[in-house]
Amino acid sequence: MALLKMEEWYDLARETNWTPSYASEEELYPETMSEDFGIPLNVWETFDEPYKVSYRDYVRAQRDKDVAAYSVKAALARAEFFKNASPHWKALLALHFSAVCWAEFHSASCFGRMTRFGRAPGMRNMATFGTLDEIRHGQIQIYFAYEFLKHDAVFDWCHKSSKTENWIIISLRHALDDIAHTRDGTTAGVMLNMGLEQSFTNLQFVALSADAAKCGDHSFATMLQSIQTDEARHAQIGEPLVRILCENGRKKEAQQMVDISFWRMWKQFSALSGIGMDYYTPLEHRENSLKEFMEEWVIGQFGRTVEAMGLALPWYWDYLKHDIATFHHAQQIGVYVYRATQWWRPIASVSPAEREWLEEKYPGWNDTFGKCWDVVTENIRNGHYDKTVPAPPPLICNMCHLEVSGVAGGEWQPVDYHVDLDGRRYHFCCEPCKWIFELEPARYKGHRSIIDRAFDGTIGPELDDFLNYMGQSEPERGVCGYDYQWIDGYDTPVAAE
Amino acid sequence: MAEFPIACNLQGDYGFKVIVVDEDDTIADVIQKTSDQLVGVLVAPFPPDTVLKARIHGAEEPLDDDVTLKGANILQMAALDIYAEG
Repeated sequence: MALLKMEEWYDLARETNWTPSYASEEELYPETMSEDFGIPLNVWETFDEPYKVSYRDYVRAQRDKDVAAYSVKAALARAEFFKNASPHWKALLALHFSAVCWAEFHSASCFGRMTRFGRAPGMRNMATFGTLDEIRHGQIQIYFAYEFLKHDAVFDWCHKSSKTENWIIISLRHALDDIAHTRDGTTAGVMLNMGLEQSFTNLQFVALSADAAKCGDHSFATMLQSIQTDEARHAQIGEPLVRILCENGRKKEAQQMVDISFWRMWKQFSALSGIGMDYYTPLEHRENSLKEFMEEWVIGQFGRTVEAMGLALPWYWDYLKHDIATFHHAQQIGVYVYRATQWWRPIASVSPAEREWLEEKYPGWNDTFGKCWDVVTENIRNGHYDKTVPAPPPLICNMCHLEVSGVAGGEWQPVDYHVDLDGRRYHFCCEPCKWIFELEPARYKGHRSIIDRAFDGTIGPELDDFLNYMGQSEPERGVCGYDYQWIDGYDTPVAAE
Repeated sequence: MAEFPIACNLQGDYGFKVIVVDEDDTIADVIQKTSDQLVGVLVAPFPPDTVLKARIHGAEEPLDDDVTLKGANILQMAALDIYAEG
């Protein structure tokens, strides 16, 4: 018996809306989980996903991808690769797996909400595949990372990190909780897909996969490619939702969802992937800088996607163009000098050759952020390791929970925004973070940054108290990934004091 | 004596640091405590005879060196820029 072609049955098979008789529509789709924005059901039913797939084809494709990824992993004896990998790449792997494994796995919950509470049958269908994707992404990444555990206890954090109060984890968790885990199915569909997956994740995995291949880490590259293709498919839930909202008088709401979620994810992407791209990727394998990547793929390509959907570019677009050249450089200094608060072994990545690359990609870097590194470098050259760690803690943004930073050195530009509310001062690293807070203060005001907790008595006064609070026993506190040997590139001997 | 955290960005540094001072400290004390903790760590020593001043972040005018934090009505966790005069 000949099988029907997918296009002959797909539309019929996905028409799964029905008229409930044992429960009301409101009980089936409560507003807090399934906001319809006053748009009638028959309009939501026009949701048309651009990429269609059947369950049969989905399973076949996923099986093939898994076979490919696991085969490459087995064939390439990853453990040997890891032993020989540079501290740069080890730091990047530790950072990637510790931040991404659980985030992917948690995303299954968000897609599960879209699957259950999406108003459009086509959306629910796509979200079902998205749920399965995210479970797979969590599992495959933690499995690949797990192999390293016998060589390096740092990889325990691939599983542990999400359950800690480490400041970087608080930052990422706060952002993902905001856009994905505390929103109704419709809003989460727009925010997660547009603000993270279509703008950043999809592109990040392409770039990281290419870097991994250049570094000879072919199993990591294959695994990332297998994830990226899933992301490209399920990220397409957001676009039809935005179109329906725009065409039915809810453009303002759609714009706000995109503007909030994009900014929240940009800050995470800047700090984590920005450091990964411009500092942790071994110099000989670096090509595009974060700034170049952002200009081409995000400001260019994603910007055009946003406009094609009928939305305006986010209001902070011009500020973003400045931020892509500054924010992550400041964060990299903080990550290195406060390295004990990291669970991995941070890389300075400011040898003379690396500084030359940074100056070429970011003209003026030596006169700005490079000035702070000059001081750190001199202290290491003089053996004053204790002076490479500042005594006072940094100020943390009450939205993105990263350091409140500006431009350093000769072009010094201090940046801080604040809101006073109910007797408490909230600090922000930029105007968009403050704007998000002010849109809905009641949503955000109860959260305390790690620094708020240090000064309200939640955390004890000693450094050990602080590190233990973040889940970091002594062996789990970051040290320089090169044991300061990167300083060897500076050839002028330094006279002892 | 009361512990009084304040956010300071010393000229040249990449971001704000939380400096713990006393509410009876003068602005000159705050400048000294901040530079003591950051000069030679993240900021290169200033040239001799440099005079450091402090201002509320975003303000034009410097704060008087002799006024106390309490006297200047500066709140806990207020943000100050500390910069070289001239």
